[in-house]
Amino acid sequence: MATTTLEPQASAYRRSWVIDWLTTVDHKKIGILYIVNSFLFFFAAGILALVIRSELAVPGLQFVDQSTYNQAFTMHGTIMLFLFIIPALSGFGNYIVPLQLGAPDMAFPRINALSFWLLPLGGGLIFSGYLFGGAAAEGWTGYAPLTQQGGVGTDLWIIGLTLVGTASILGAVNFIATIFKMRAPGMTLFRMPIFVWTVLVTAVLILLATPVLAAGLIALFIDRNYGGSFFDPSVGGNPVLWQHIFWFFGHPEVYIVILPAMGVVSEILPVFSRKPLFGYRAFVFATIAIGLLSFSVWAHHMFTTGAVFLPFFSFMTALIAIPTGIKMFNWLATLWRGKLLLNTPMLFALGFLSMFLIGGISGVMLASPPIDFHMQDTYFVVAHLHYVFFGGSVFGVFAATYYWFPKMFGRKLNDRLGKVHFWMHFIGFNLAFFPMHQLGLSGMPRRVSDYSADTGWTILNFASTIGAFLIALSVIPFLINVIATFINGEPAGDDPWEGNTLEWATTSPPPPYNFDTLPPIHSERPLFFLTHGHGHSAERPSDLEETDEDDVERRDGIV
Amino acid sequence: MTDTAIGFALLGIVILVVLGVVFAIASRGGSGASRPAPPRGVHLPSPSFLPAVMSAAIALLGAGLAFRAEDQLANPWLAIPGLLLFAITAVAWVRAANREWRDVEHGSHDEPAH
Amino acid sequence: MTAETIQAHPAGEHDDHEAIDHGQTGMPTALLGMLLFIASEVMFFGGLFATYFNARASVPAGAWGPPEGAHELDIALAGVLTAILLASSFTMQFGVWAIRRGDTGKLRMWTGITLVLGVLFLMGQLYDYSQLGFGVADGVFGTTFYTLTGFHGAHVFGGAVGLTIILARAMRGQFSRRNHVAVEAVSMYWHFVDVVWIAVFSTIYFLR
Repeated sequence: MATTTLEPQASAYRRSWVIDWLTTVDHKKIGILYIVNSFLFFFAAGILALVIRSELAVPGLQFVDQSTYNQAFTMHGTIMLFLFIIPALSGFGNYIVPLQLGAPDMAFPRINALSFWLLPLGGGLIFSGYLFGGAAAEGWTGYAPLTQQGGVGTDLWIIGLTLVGTASILGAVNFIATIFKMRAPGMTLFRMPIFVWTVLVTAVLILLATPVLAAGLIALFIDRNYGGSFFDPSVGGNPVLWQHIFWFFGHPEVYIVILPAMGVVSEILPVFSRKPLFGYRAFVFATIAIGLLSFSVWAHHMFTTGAVFLPFFSFMTALIAIPTGIKMFNWLATLWRGKLLLNTPMLFALGFLSMFLIGGISGVMLASPPIDFHMQDTYFVVAHLHYVFFGGSVFGVFAATYYWFPKMFGRKLNDRLGKVHFWMHFIGFNLAFFPMHQLGLSGMPRRVSDYSADTGWTILNFASTIGAFLIALSVIPFLINVIATFINGEPAGDDPWEGNTLEWATTSPPPPYNFDTLPPIHSERPLFFLTHGHGHSAERPSDLEETDEDDVERRDGIV
Repeated sequence: MTDTAIGFALLGIVILVVLGVVFAIASRGGSGASRPAPPRGVHLPSPSFLPAVMSAAIALLGAGLAFRAEDQLANPWLAIPGLLLFAITAVAWVRAANREWRDVEHGSHDEPAH
Repeated sequence: MTAETIQAHPAGEHDDHEAIDHGQTGMPTALLGMLLFIASEVMFFGGLFATYFNARASVPAGAWGPPEGAHELDIALAGVLTAILLASSFTMQFGVWAIRRGDTGKLRMWTGITLVLGVLFLMGQLYDYSQLGFGVADGVFGTTFYTLTGFHGAHVFGGAVGLTIILARAMRGQFSRRNHVAVEAVSMYWHFVDVVWIAVFSTIYFLR
């Protein structure tokens, strides 16, 4: 097992914890900052979701006016995507990737900190629209020429997003440089943990796609403020140009959102099935394929504009289902005949598999133009995107939280409370979003603040609202769990889950420099082999027990 | 704002306060611990105010662009301090990086992290 | 030692693993960082070029250009600017070669010349703007022209800042044959800025 020893060394002076966290360049602290910041934005955007669902529960405008409603769904989408999911996964990446690589920190620690601090400030700018006459209200996709009419809230949205996008790009540079330059000796690219691979491909996507969004946002700002004519048809501009630029970024963006979550799931399933990930190489190549293909499908968000060559984009979109399907089968094969431990991280990972599958299927349906022409801008799309974003990425975020909490804070979250959280969350989620498929098929458009009673949509909307509130309630056991664990949680050792990867080869939490010593690295599961031996290898540390024969057989796969 | 909206806002504030308290408890526990020494040869960059301050500078500049009057390029009360602060932090950053680079120079052709 | 060089090995462990790139071999980490940053900048300009081409494609053939009453584009001046920037890439590269040989004196000279040429480019660009007679708010050609050339100019300015820094450091003797990654990084950025200008120039002035 790990032989980390801490040499106590009294600090020269006690630093205030505020200064400590404000000036940190330690990837672990920065990771925690990212995650805490993300959850704060999650709750804010969640409240906005409750505003939306409360208004839609029954016909009639009961709670908000139309302008407030538009701001609510705009901010909900913007905050959830840019200030919750991506930073949360980024935060886990920040904390875990250097550890999994056996590195002492990220390649550029101060720039790492800069990337973080731009987030609360950028998010604050976006939110501050509420204080200055109204937040942005044109949808998170900010279509032109509607954005031309927005007030200062729209400008704040543009500026804030540019800041957040810049932070992302800097983070991507950091991750790629770290992964290529700071791996421990023995760790070839194909011995890296799968989570690192997904972070790498995600970082490349961020690096190449986000600048295009920046260009578009700047162009939009020029149109709105300096008399530009990019997107305004009345002066020779082209509104569809905005859609092209936005979605050229926007589609890789959704893979940026899902790939790290897939990485998390790929870490958790093997550990709690006591089996290696099935088809590691295929998984890597599938991830790379998804990354590459993601740049070729953007116009499937624009099928109904009439400005798109439908066969190409439909074909490429359907093609992405193939590497995604490969991953699905890899995960299932990992579970198959494994010794499953159904604790909370595993439940969230399994929830990911099932919910993302549904979202993926509805996505492939939307890839077909004849279907999409009917479903575009209806609640069917809202259902699809929530099944992949929420059922996929958010389940992944919670899975990561329960899985890596012991490493970060030295204590395990209570599993029973975790299961209560999971089931409330899972049931609430499906109750909230499954009816939306039917609502979309029945023709309910998205981004409407109200509907009339004779549409027949009331019952499903009401059910969906109940689901939304159930999700909100599920946060309570989660928060109680976190607080109680901080106060008096069960201490976790270095490796509470019998993990395979290097983050479990040091203390919980790790020392500032991460590792005193590293185990030898001959595979993508260095810790597994350190604990269980190499079977027939001559290299076996003398203080380990005999290799467990069962482990050898199980290690070789599903046969 | 309607009463319901106020209610939700209050709930949000309560959640934020609770999380802030949690954060305070959690981080205080950490910083009081002893500081172990890194193994030989591992150099970690020291903590710095520059990232947080530079972010604030950029945010000021951005706010200046957002809150402009009709005939301005940007709001000078926000943009000029933002620009100045950015320049100051950028200079300080480059100088700190130079200093660290010189301190850890040991014949390696690599640049230290900064 | 730098942060990325040493990973502690278990006692007695012999390093018979495959040669792994852990920061001591191959491209210096900071240079890789600059390369990645440049990749993102290429995509940024790609987005701006997309707006240019899209706007141009929506306008009837022959009608794409400065608005009525404004001057035609000054291709001669733009040609001079191109020559200046192209020359500055050469002088920058001479400087890099000099410091790779350990010649700090020549590095200073070539960096100084590059900086002067860069500043000349910027001044020339501003002069061109002052003569054109149309602005960013004068139709879609004006918008795309100024956005594309303006952001390029901003990047030239950024590069000039970088040149100034390495010139100052070179004058303080901080670079040597073995330690001059900052020079390599700034020179890589400067070449990128030049290549983008070639694309901007060709697109706006030749392709039209």
